[in-house]
Amino acid sequence: MEFSESADRVLDTAVARGAVYADVRFERTRTERIEVRNADVGSMTDERSDGFGVRALVDGAWGFAASARFDDASLDDAAARAVAMARAGASASTKRIGTIPTDAYVDHFATPLEHDPASVPLGARVALLLEAERSLHSAPSIAVGHAWIDLWKTDKEFYSTAGSRIGQTIYQSGGGMSALAVGEGDAQVRMWPGDRGMYFGGGWEAIERAELAANAQRIGEEAHQLLAAPQCPSGTFDVILGGSQVSLQIHESCGHAAELDRIMGWEANFSGTSFLDPSERGRLKYGSGIVTIEIDNTMPRGFATCGYDDEGTKSVRADVIRDGMLVGFESSRDTAAQIGTASTACVRAQSWQHIPMIRMCNLNLLPGTVPFENLFDDVRDGIYMEANRSWSIDDRRLNFQFGCQIGWEIKHGKRGRMLKNPTYGGVTPVFWNSCDAIGDAASWFEWGTPNCGKGEPMQTGRTTQAAAPARFRNVAVGVGYGR
Amino acid sequence: MDAEARRALAARILERSHADATEVTVVANHRALTRFTHELIHQNVDIDDVNVRVRAVVDGRTGVAETNRTDDDALAEAIARAAEIASFVPRDDESPPLAGPVDVRAPQAAYVAGTAAAGAERRAQIAARIFAQAEQHACWSSGYVTTATSGVTIATSTGAHASFDGTDAAVNVKMTAGDSTGFAERYDSDAAVLDGDALGARAAGKARASEHPVAVEPGEWTVILEPAAFGELLHFLGSHFSAQSVDEGSSFLSDRLGELVMGDNVTIRDDYTHPLHPGMPFDWEGSAKTTPTLIDAGVARSVVLDRRWSHKLGQPNTGHGLPSPNSFGPYPLNLVVEPGSLPLEELIASTKRGLLITRLWYTRIVDQRKTILTGMTRDGTFLIENGAVGRGVRNLRFNQSLVDALATCVLGDTQARTGGYSYACVVPPVKFERFTFASTTDY
Repeated sequence: MEFSESADRVLDTAVARGAVYADVRFERTRTERIEVRNADVGSMTDERSDGFGVRALVDGAWGFAASARFDDASLDDAAARAVAMARAGASASTKRIGTIPTDAYVDHFATPLEHDPASVPLGARVALLLEAERSLHSAPSIAVGHAWIDLWKTDKEFYSTAGSRIGQTIYQSGGGMSALAVGEGDAQVRMWPGDRGMYFGGGWEAIERAELAANAQRIGEEAHQLLAAPQCPSGTFDVILGGSQVSLQIHESCGHAAELDRIMGWEANFSGTSFLDPSERGRLKYGSGIVTIEIDNTMPRGFATCGYDDEGTKSVRADVIRDGMLVGFESSRDTAAQIGTASTACVRAQSWQHIPMIRMCNLNLLPGTVPFENLFDDVRDGIYMEANRSWSIDDRRLNFQFGCQIGWEIKHGKRGRMLKNPTYGGVTPVFWNSCDAIGDAASWFEWGTPNCGKGEPMQTGRTTQAAAPARFRNVAVGVGYGR
Repeated sequence: MDAEARRALAARILERSHADATEVTVVANHRALTRFTHELIHQNVDIDDVNVRVRAVVDGRTGVAETNRTDDDALAEAIARAAEIASFVPRDDESPPLAGPVDVRAPQAAYVAGTAAAGAERRAQIAARIFAQAEQHACWSSGYVTTATSGVTIATSTGAHASFDGTDAAVNVKMTAGDSTGFAERYDSDAAVLDGDALGARAAGKARASEHPVAVEPGEWTVILEPAAFGELLHFLGSHFSAQSVDEGSSFLSDRLGELVMGDNVTIRDDYTHPLHPGMPFDWEGSAKTTPTLIDAGVARSVVLDRRWSHKLGQPNTGHGLPSPNSFGPYPLNLVVEPGSLPLEELIASTKRGLLITRLWYTRIVDQRKTILTGMTRDGTFLIENGAVGRGVRNLRFNQSLVDALATCVLGDTQARTGGYSYACVVPPVKFERFTFASTTDY
């Protein structure tokens, strides 16, 4: 591997300085973004970032230092800084942490690619977006059309004093578009696919599956129609959520709640804590019996799929909620050790210069058995909502409120008028226990999120919450507009 | 990397670029952050990085390439890549020329050598004082101590050369006492002013004072927001002051410039010279920043522009460009709300029944055009009765138009700098006569 000698130097220096364990992660990342906005190429950038981050464990405290320079002096300096940071932390702390890993892997992982983005010429990428963006302007009220593509390629090498030597090449890709309609003192937005675009672990196939040009005219028309659509009513209704909104519902009210570092107070001052407690495993009825949510960092097309996490633990599948019951957590080595379990390999760092920490990775709601169109059959008076526009949840992950871009009333099992500004709210376990139908495998999709925020310094994570549309009973609707 | 090294690096790139016009941005950051929980430093980071951004304009087409390597090969590759990208972009005849010579001066106290020199030991010492306060008040603490230096140099082939060096330091602390929490923060360019004892005691005091919080009914309340809470709301107005959003119709100011849009006691500026938040005197296109008054005694007075929107609208550039080209448009990064005349104590004393709010959480836009925001209270919410702060109350969810709230508000007489991961601003405490809560929690 490319950085083998440099890694040996970093690890040797860290140990010589007093580390009882150290690991180092070298990364070369290439990020490409193209945006078209109102017929202009608003952004077309190609960013390369190379560097390494070293973690050192000294006297039960971690230190982390990162550098973009690979000369011997910089390697030594970073190792020394990490040890010094750990030592300073230990000097002030009244408690100890830090599990010394004993497992070691020598391996290589690469994201399976159907279509290498490098084979798609820049001109073709720009042309695709220009065509899609042009089609978004399908009504005179469209003030802003916006279409974008994101491509990432990360080569990373992980080395540890326990003996791990892991190389990974990870491809992540995605794109989307939005139309903003303005008129009559109002502004309405529609996005596609879902509410963020379509993001995968993989290559250009993510862009192809997004079918931007094929859907652009409809998305523009829907944004325009929303301006004149009636306001979503307030009251208690049965609600059917589209797949991307269920994905965000999982993300906010299950994914973050089940992060073990958050449960232990490691994020308390910023992202908050959780209403969950480790003692509730096997006892808390999180959702109805049809709700099963699992970690799967091995899944094809998962945005967070990789061979090993960023502290060198092999990717696994693990249950968080099984048949409605809380059974597990997203964890790291240190946090898992505190509750006597194994890490679920959910540690990620945004880049070489970020500290590895627990992140929501691929966390999926398993599909149900109901075809999408049959979800409506048993709804007498309800609302169908698609594509998130607003999202908020309290700092223990209980009280949430979401708004969607578009809704339709449901009357006697049939989808009726389009509604604007649909919002709903609830309390996490009450809401998930009201889930009485989940769409089947045909409606299940790997929704990826490119911008999950957590940590200080703030890190952006890439995560998948695969989901199908689902039905929830007796939900408070219209909460964002005065109910 | 100091300013001279950044200038030399930018000059090397400008010399080698064969584009019609070239802009180089060099950003050198050194950031360190000591994070703690339960009196344990669990995350302790020290990061050193340089980013070089090359923007090439070839035949009216623009491409951008970035790298964090500064060797000749990497720079040559970035130069070539930017030009290559430009060749695939449609010609943009509305694109304004790159910035020319600029004469700017950084505000005093933007850079403090002592902050730049502060190390892990200094941060650990501050954290240790917070831990001592946690023990004294029978709480547990979580938060961070951070110090950072950032250097920015922007140079163009059309003659712009601007450099800025700044430092930042901050403490953020939350204390937890059984069923209640409290919060305190301090931001400054000078790490010497960070007082772990004072901040720890303030957060712990709030946690202790709000023990066993009681539930109150949601609905319309009079509220007093401390700066951390007001700042979180205010930053959602930032995009509304952009010429782009006003022109395109997504701003509450669209078609309302010159009108009274808030209470006549509200004045909002964008001011990089404010002593509580001294910032960069030029924008990310290398243009000199101005300090526009956006809301003047309640009247929508002006918006912020960058080179593109200045060119498009035929109005003077206010110097609020982000790295260009971009889809965001111009943006005010240094919002300041002018103070009122009443101390916080008077705001409280004049309140018959209301809520005192320390901090908000997960605030998001419900309706952009109407400025309706939702979010939660956190870390110290108190009942005010008959002019006195009383018991802690359980947290509530709000849904409120910020512009409507600012129509009938009273501003405190002191300002503080506050911020989050995506913003920083300077605000006083504020009293909103009417503020709507939709639901409550059981904690």
